[in-house]
Amino acid sequence: MDQNQHDRLAQEAQYQSNPMMAPTILPTQTYGHSLSSSYPRLHPYDPQAMYQLRQEPLQQQLTNFWAKKRQEIEETTSFKTHSLPLARIKKIMKGEEGVRMVSAEASVVFAKACEMFMMELTIRASGSAEENQRKIIKKCDVASAISRTDVFDFLVDIVSGHNKIMEQQGFVGIPRIGTALTPTENVPYYQMPPHQSLVPGPPYGSSGMVVGMPVHYQNHPGLQTPTMGPTPNPQNSSRDSDS
Amino acid sequence: MADSDNDSGGAHNGGKGSEMSPREQDRFLPIANVSRIMKKALPANAKISKDAKETVQECVSEFISFITGEASDKCQREKRKTINGDDLLWAMTTLGFEDYVEPLKGYLQRFREMEGEKTVAARDKDAPPLTNATNSAYESANYAAAAAVPGGIMMHQGHVYGSAGFHQVAGGAIKGGPAYPGPGSNAGRPR
Repeated sequence: MDQNQHDRLAQEAQYQSNPMMAPTILPTQTYGHSLSSSYPRLHPYDPQAMYQLRQEPLQQQLTNFWAKKRQEIEETTSFKTHSLPLARIKKIMKGEEGVRMVSAEASVVFAKACEMFMMELTIRASGSAEENQRKIIKKCDVASAISRTDVFDFLVDIVSGHNKIMEQQGFVGIPRIGTALTPTENVPYYQMPPHQSLVPGPPYGSSGMVVGMPVHYQNHPGLQTPTMGPTPNPQNSSRDSDS
Repeated sequence: MADSDNDSGGAHNGGKGSEMSPREQDRFLPIANVSRIMKKALPANAKISKDAKETVQECVSEFISFITGEASDKCQREKRKTINGDDLLWAMTTLGFEDYVEPLKGYLQRFREMEGEKTVAARDKDAPPLTNATNSAYESANYAAAAAVPGGIMMHQGHVYGSAGFHQVAGGAIKGGPAYPGPGSNAGRPR
């Protein structure tokens, strides 16, 4: 039954691109906290314990990653082929104010550095997906990895800038804080009545659309409204296709 | 000179492309490259949702801007015009990405060695003697070793790589000596 539910949720997430369909209620049931959303990170203590349990394999994964990366660099024989287009990297660099000239070696260094950055971020995001017993890495997993890693503080605006992320996680403002689990930030949420006011007016005026979309998998009925964001996202559709 | 064969890639779907302006498209790395790199970090059975790929796509552009901004500030303080590899390594150390610096130092060193060979072979005017090439490679290794020390590390030599935008022509070999903080004679030299 659990496996079927997981498969169905995964499939729905894949086809509907609706992240809120994917989270299961299993973490909530496991913790026995009715107020907790489907994201264990909301609880002041259990997420840390869970993260500690996961930390060992994650650290080993990262250690293997760095060792593999060193070996890969030592085996580099050609600098003509890169995993990323150098011209695009240079263009992004020149978009920064005050940048005048960029050497060729700088673009080459960034090509490798960005590869490391993306792989580290992906490995950490996969740890978050595992905690929620999912095999599909979603945007909220990336956001979770960012909020847990100090050096990624400069990215909190990127993930918190998307209303879908905030709605998925069922709370407002916490992703902006480096240590998202501070008690002072969690207490007001638990004390507030769970209704639509938790979600700030989205730029796309989607509040009205939320009411009529029931979510069968949420344990807490009050969380249905704020966590069910609109499926279409104009910003997403403007991306390059990855097919 | 060797031409770069790494022009902007990742052709996008025509239909979706119409919704993204050309300028905005240039702000991100191609999502196909992003997706491929993310998959390299995971076991074969793992899957990545499209919105996760797009989020990482935005994050990596932010990473480039973040590191570049710090490196650019350093260049301006030292009145240099060109950001080089060592500036990026210094910026990464300053901003907490120490884990990245050690592998990248080796990578940069190898790149310079190969570029050194190409530059010498391709240079037409005032062909340098072989000893200069040897010294240049040796100094390059020394500078790479000193890259971890914060301070004014000058760019060693221009690398002609054929990248779009501009072409740098290599100057003479940099004088020897360790590049520790306070190389006044080097810091003031403009390119």
